[in-house]
Amino acid sequence: MDFRFSEDQLTLTETVRDYLAGTHGPEVLRRLDTEGARDPAIWTGLVEMGLTGLLIPEEQGGLGFGLVDAALIAVECGRACVAEPLVDTAFVAVPWLISRGVTEDLPAILAGEKQVALPHAINPWIADGEGEALESVDPLRRLALGSGGEDDLLLDLGALMSAAQLVGIADAMLAQATDYAKLRTQFGQPIGAFQAIKHQLATCAVANEFAKPVLWRAAASQGEGLASAPVHVSHAKVAATDAAMLAAETAIQVHGAMGYTYEVDLHFWMKRAWALAGAWGSRAFHMRRIDEAVLGGTLPIGPDHTFD
Amino acid sequence: MDLAYTPEQQVFRAEVRAWMEAHVPKEPLVTLECREGFDQHVEWERTLASGNWGMVTWPEAYGGRGLDLIQWLIFEEEYFRAGGPNRANQNGIFLLGPTIMEFGSDEQKARFLPPMARGETIWAQAWSEPGAGSDMAAIQSKAVRDGDHYVLTGQKTWSSRAAFADWGFGIFRTDPESKRHKGLTFILFDLDSPGITRRPIRQLHGETGFAELFFDEVRVPVENSLAGEGEGWNVAMATAGFERGLMLRSPGRFQATAKRLVDLYRAHAHEASPAAREAVVQAWGAAQAYAYNTYSVAAKIMAGGKIGAEASLNKIFWSELDRSMHRTAMQLLGAEAELKRSAGGAINPWLEGYIFSLSGPIYAGSNEVQRNITAERLLGLPRVGAG
Repeated sequence: MDFRFSEDQLTLTETVRDYLAGTHGPEVLRRLDTEGARDPAIWTGLVEMGLTGLLIPEEQGGLGFGLVDAALIAVECGRACVAEPLVDTAFVAVPWLISRGVTEDLPAILAGEKQVALPHAINPWIADGEGEALESVDPLRRLALGSGGEDDLLLDLGALMSAAQLVGIADAMLAQATDYAKLRTQFGQPIGAFQAIKHQLATCAVANEFAKPVLWRAAASQGEGLASAPVHVSHAKVAATDAAMLAAETAIQVHGAMGYTYEVDLHFWMKRAWALAGAWGSRAFHMRRIDEAVLGGTLPIGPDHTFD
Repeated sequence: MDLAYTPEQQVFRAEVRAWMEAHVPKEPLVTLECREGFDQHVEWERTLASGNWGMVTWPEAYGGRGLDLIQWLIFEEEYFRAGGPNRANQNGIFLLGPTIMEFGSDEQKARFLPPMARGETIWAQAWSEPGAGSDMAAIQSKAVRDGDHYVLTGQKTWSSRAAFADWGFGIFRTDPESKRHKGLTFILFDLDSPGITRRPIRQLHGETGFAELFFDEVRVPVENSLAGEGEGWNVAMATAGFERGLMLRSPGRFQATAKRLVDLYRAHAHEASPAAREAVVQAWGAAQAYAYNTYSVAAKIMAGGKIGAEASLNKIFWSELDRSMHRTAMQLLGAEAELKRSAGGAINPWLEGYIFSLSGPIYAGSNEVQRNITAERLLGLPRVGAG
């Protein structure tokens, strides 16, 4: 029993976080919003870091990492508001394809030549795919209408990685609101010195802090193929959605009227949160799955069943 | 990340389970906030001590088992699975015991720790004063040096366990010229010392488990002070330090409540709203989240890390979770909610628990103070009044 990340996992996460902080700041999001939502250089950068091959086995040229590692990177993609279909391709489609024994596309995915976003009945929009275009509230998401089946593994992978991105988005919005509260002065002091602001932000910090271990637990369960993994994935999706929605609504409030403008960068993260909150199963859908396990009696509960 | 228990941990769990199943009282004890219940709980402490389960994380030299934090979590899970009573000895286990281990002399360790571990001395804490609640540095109670004694004068309040406990600990102002955090000394005192008057305070539930303490020239030997004169604030902060942040409320307690809430829901499912149902499901989720977080923090501490201000996040989370779970239960119970005992005579645990849960966001540093700490120390927001 050791609920910690390895040194390698922490190093990888830090590397990706630093890379994105240096190359994918808010000015990039503003530029993409103005000039078109994609810049091939961003995708190339992610491919060169090896991230498209993160979950591809080493013997096929990938890094051979697991879902906990992928969830860590997906958090960073959320934090940086990355819109390139890296998570859809490398952390949702790849593990699903491998589990189904469909491996012919892996070399092209690894090389960054192929982007794959798989539709599901509950989530028929494909990121950057072929098909009738749909306009998202998120100006950087490019959606196409697809048609998918009801594969449970695909749903769980999609929901898990949406939860991971939501956790990163929640962290980012809390950080932006906190930074703003330190800078903006009213009544002769930074608004962040007022307890009315502090307490709202502290409440967000609590929600973020307690969504994270639920996410890690879900990623570990899914990676180990635990029979109860779908419940834990749903738990992570609900916890991450709640944290992100709270952070979004708090952040806009802390920004005041500025928060209601298109000029403040916050809106990119807020809109991504709205989009991912409904993607791969709504909050209501996932609550129902937890309900069926917890009240339905299929999941053992109580103090001696923490990791069942 | 390895979320499986080792075979040794599984063996340990089985050992705890067997002992708890054999020893935990079949009927719930009377509340520890009254004389009868307090005595029952002290008796339970002695039963625990007889199996060497009283102070499991303490070193063996002081009457503990020297368990690591994962073993502690397993112990707590099994304790609450079995429905183990609240701990009369809590102030000793989590607050004073570790503090004496860190700051006490060898003589003090030998004198105070073994009787604490055996459940023979029950300790009350005496932090707050009428003018020093959330603002603990406003303490005014004095300790004046007179030869090899301190003479204590002043008043402490909200002193939990103090109505019935044997000894107390708190901080007193030894330097009359000092202000705020300076000039305070951490002192241990026998609650039966001449000059101490205990005035039990009747609490919301009607019982009188905690008390006000009046000190009228109470003579305490200097060897009952910890870590030297003027060090009181540092000792008190260490007392409130990382292990308390982790150990004051273990997750098993809330997971057990969530499980009972699920059972309660099932009994009322035919009349309950979808909102009540969702609140029950969320209670399970939040209790699990608290458990995962605790395992994660425990692993960090075992690897040499510490938690500081993060303890504030924990405190906010568990106290608000406990209140919301009990509120949900009261809503499900309907007309039964107000009954202190059912028509059959059984204690209504949800009413008792709901009332107690209302104190959670207040004691151990109010949640407003915890949110300030979170905002200032974790998020880096300016302190009140700072420009």
